[in-house]
Order: sequence, then C-alpha cells, then structure tokens
Amino acid sequence: MATYTLRKVLSLIPMMLFISFLIYLGIELMPGDAVDFLIPPDALATMSAEQLNAMRESLGLNDPFLVRYLKWLGGLLQGEFGYSIQSGVPVATLMKNHLPATIELTVTALVFSSVFGVLFGVLSALKKGSLIDQVFSLIGMAGVAIPQFLLGLICINAFALHLNILPAGGRMASAGQSFVERLPYLLMPALVLGFSLTAGVMRYARSSMLDSMGRDYMKTARAKGIPEWRVNLLHGLRTALTPVVVLIGFRLPMLIGGAVVIEEVFQWPGIGSLFVNAVRSQNTPLVMMIGFFSVLLVLISSIIVDIVTAFLDPRIKLS
Amino acid sequence: MSSLDRKMDRILKREESGKGRRGIKNRTLRKIFANKLSIAGFVIFAGILFMCVCAPLFTQYSSTKVDLRSILQAPSASHIFGTDKIGRDIWARILYGGRVSIGVGFGSALIATVIGVSLGTICGYKGGWLDGVVMKLSEVLMAFPQMILVLILVTVTGQSLWNLILIFSVTGWPSMYRMARSQMLSIREEEYVQALKAFGIGSMRIAFVHMLPNAIGPIFVNVTLSTAMFILQEASLSFLGLGVPLEVATWGNILNVAQDLTILKDAPWIWLPTGIVVTLFVVSINFIGDGLRDATDPSQIG
Repeated sequence: MATYTLRKVLSLIPMMLFISFLIYLGIELMPGDAVDFLIPPDALATMSAEQLNAMRESLGLNDPFLVRYLKWLGGLLQGEFGYSIQSGVPVATLMKNHLPATIELTVTALVFSSVFGVLFGVLSALKKGSLIDQVFSLIGMAGVAIPQFLLGLICINAFALHLNILPAGGRMASAGQSFVERLPYLLMPALVLGFSLTAGVMRYARSSMLDSMGRDYMKTARAKGIPEWRVNLLHGLRTALTPVVVLIGFRLPMLIGGAVVIEEVFQWPGIGSLFVNAVRSQNTPLVMMIGFFSVLLVLISSIIVDIVTAFLDPRIKLS
Repeated sequence: MSSLDRKMDRILKREESGKGRRGIKNRTLRKIFANKLSIAGFVIFAGILFMCVCAPLFTQYSSTKVDLRSILQAPSASHIFGTDKIGRDIWARILYGGRVSIGVGFGSALIATVIGVSLGTICGYKGGWLDGVVMKLSEVLMAFPQMILVLILVTVTGQSLWNLILIFSVTGWPSMYRMARSQMLSIREEEYVQALKAFGIGSMRIAFVHMLPNAIGPIFVNVTLSTAMFILQEASLSFLGLGVPLEVATWGNILNVAQDLTILKDAPWIWLPTGIVVTLFVVSINFIGDGLRDATDPSQIG
C-alpha cells in the first residue's frame, strides 16, 4: 500500500512542474511586476528610474526568465505565493481567509449530494421502472439541465424575497456567530449546489447498481439463501459503490473552485467569489495561484480516488 | 422465452427484406423514432432553434433598441414578456440572444470536435511521439476544473464573443480527443484495417476514410452533449459578467440583470422566461443526445 501510494505521488511531480511553469508564464505575461505593487503608488511617483532599477536588481527581477522561475518555484515550496496586485495583501493570507467559507459550503453540498445521490440511485435501481424510479430520473434530468445560478435565483426569489424565511445571501449577520446561528445562511447555497450534484451521483449509482444486480455473484448469494436485503446491501452495493466513489472523488477539487457560480449568486465569501473578483479586476497573480491550487487539488484527489478504489474493490491489485 | 423467439423472428424477417447498408441506416433512424423522449426533445429543439433563427418573423422589436418611455413594463399585449430596465423588449432579446447563445454553444462544440477528433484519429492510428505529446497536453488541460480554466483563459485573453468560442474550443477538445483516440485504438485491431494496409492504402486514408465513419456514433453524441454544456457555461459566465460583452444580447446576458435583488423580486418576467427557455433547450439537447447514444449503440437491439 505504501509503495503504491508513493509511486502515485511521485508520478505527479513532472505534471505539477509543467503546470507551475505555465502558471508562472501567465503571471509574467501580465504587465507590471513586483516593484509596482510592493511600493505604494504615491511613493512610486517620487522615485527615480535608477532607484526603481536598483530595487528590481536587488529583488532579482532583472535575472533571466528561467532563474526567476526557479526562484519563484523555491518560494512556492516555502509558502510564498505572491501578492494580490489590488491590495498588496499576500495571496496566502487571502486564500486562508476565504478557504473556511468555501469548505463549509462545499463539504455540506458534497455530503448531501453523495448521501442522497447514492440513496435515490440505489432505490431507483431496486425498484426499476416504478413510479419512484421515474420521479427520481425526472429530478435527475432537471438537476443536470437547470443552470445552477438559475436555481439559486429561483430559491432566493421564493425563500428570501417573498417568503422571508431565509437570508438572501452572505455567510453571517455579524462576525463571531456560532455555526448554528449561521446555519440559515448556509442552507440555501448548500442545497442548491447539492441538488445539481445529486443528479449526477444518482444517475451513476443507479446504472452501477443495476449493473451489479445482474452479476452472477448476486445469484450465487441468493442461491445460498442469504436474505434479499443482505444480498442487495452487502453484495450488490459494495461493488456498485466503487464507480460512485470514483465520481465523488473527482468532485473533491470542487472544494476549492467548483462553487464559483453559486458563491457569486449567494454572495458567499469563499474562494469562488475571491476568484471571480480577481478575474473581474484582472488580478493575474491571484487568478493564477487559485488556478494552481485547484489543479493541485485535482491531482491529489485523483490519487485518493485510486487508493480508495483499490481498497474498496477486492478485484483491483495494488501491484 | 417465447417473447424472445418472436423478437428473433421479427429481426430475421426484417433482415431478409432489408438490403445491406440501407438496412443499418434505417435501424439507427428507426431506433431514434421509437424513442419518445428524443422525439419530444427534437421537437422542442427545432422549435426554439427555428424561432431564434427566424426571429424577425416572431417579433417586430429589436433586441438592442432602447425605449426609455416603456421601462420595466410587465408582460402585456404589446410586449408579451415585458421590457427590461432600459425598455428593451424581453421576447425579442430572448430570440436574438438565442442566436448568439446557440451559435456559441454549437460553434464551440463543432470546433472542439474537429480539433479533438482529427488529433484523436491521427494519434490513435499512428501512436508514437505525437500521441505522447498530445496525450500529455490533454492531461494538463483536463487537470484544471473546467470553470477555473475557462476563467483563467478569460483573464489572459480578455472578454469578447470570439475569445469565448476560442476558450470553449481550447477547453473542450481534450475529451473529444480521448474519445476518438480510444475508438481508433479498438478499431485498429479489426481485420479489415489489416486488409487495407495490405493493399498499400495510405495510413491517413485508412484512418479518416475507412475507420473514422465507424466511430461516428459516439462523436455525434459528444457534439450534442458538448453543445448543451457550452450553452450552460456561456449562460453562467455571462451571468457573472465575464462571458460575452454585455451589449450583445445572449441568454446569459439577459439573466445577468437578475443579480440585482429588486429586479429579481419585482420583475420576474425579465429572467424567469429566459431561464425556462435555456433549461428547455438544454433538456431537449440532452434528450436528443441520449436517443442518439442508444440508437447508434449496436449492442442495443431495436
């Protein structure tokens, strides 16, 4: 298991190096450099070209491109992610401030969609062709086709503006509120995000469960006289879950970037809003770094998926 | 078993009366027409498409004409879906906006398909270093979450209609490439390909003329599903104000004003009908895509 994991992690390194190079290229292509946003604008106006050049020299900005890239990469490994050109605040601080909100939202949505998606999908498969199956598949179709933000707008319109039972947006009324007090704020965005995610999991769980229900080992289990629910749950569901886990695993990257649109609709102060605002204001370093972290998360979760799949499915060998 | 026997009899009878290639073609069409959902999907799709393309037949208003004497009017006989904040007719905006939205979605899907399928066909058939390079490139692009990659590219290229099509094509081709490549890899092992090689036919000719038509089913399905995906993405991006520039009417740009809570609450006619049209259109494309997938899948009896 340990060597398997290690090999997977090592296989990431060339990919990450290449992507980090692209990201650095993106930052470099943007006009302006560190000197422009490290010094306040009023101070910048009074400084001479020589002074600025001396400063660039001391910061290593006049080095060849490859040297600068390697220095940047070294800084990255030590946690120096650069600065936002708008506020001059370190990117690391900005991300640290916005990450909890995003994780709170996406974990809730992910748990909700996984639990209900698997539940509904398995139910549809067991009662294939019934009314329940048809209702669920209709909901699934809607979940895929309705734009997330539209569903968000409809919910805000109904529950916040007309019924007045939930807040229209934001994460809390005042700083320092407890989780329970913030719950009404979380409810709507998490459910809307969860709803559109549920559809995919549900369709997947249904077809995967149908597939496993037709297998020979199910007949064997029934022939041995094992009760029906045990056959379905222990024998059917276990193999059916593997592809579903893969799907859910590939959604982990959402923890950083997937809630972009929903966060904007509900004014949720997470990474998604930070990202969209950075794109709006052409804040390239911030855009690129959030992009970089989302890729990192995608690659890490693909490793986690591989390991969990190997663990769940006895047919996959680790070697 | 008797029902299975009867089915077999029917299939046999059909095959006896059918004539070679035409029979296969008919089967695909017959399977599509047997699928009620895809027929419904096609009717909705064709209806919306026709109204958008022939927009001047269905509305006398222009999508951009500002009329400050009739701002924020509720639906009435003269403006069936009302007007927006600067007096533009919503119905006209939906129709003319549909042209752009559908155009962006379908155009991007088509470009992504041409790039992805050409590369996939060449690389899948020939393999070698080119395949390795393109494969790595597609892995890099696919490592980004879709929305993040699109927004990064928006930052780099700036906002415009053509840039958006370019960005969708760049982010869309890798999945097409993967699909075409895996199809080619499995077709490559067929005996007729060996025979063609033995005849001394050029490899590009074998790949594009003789092998590619056998992979056309999944490609069509992918074009429909990508079109739906790009239409949704355009709507989301324009809603955020980062897609097509605001002065161009698109479905996303009409919905954009709903970010304003007073409009959201008091003028639902601006955003709700547009939202319903987008959803209906995407549903109909999905139905067509599902129907196509079942119809072109030879393992499903029809």
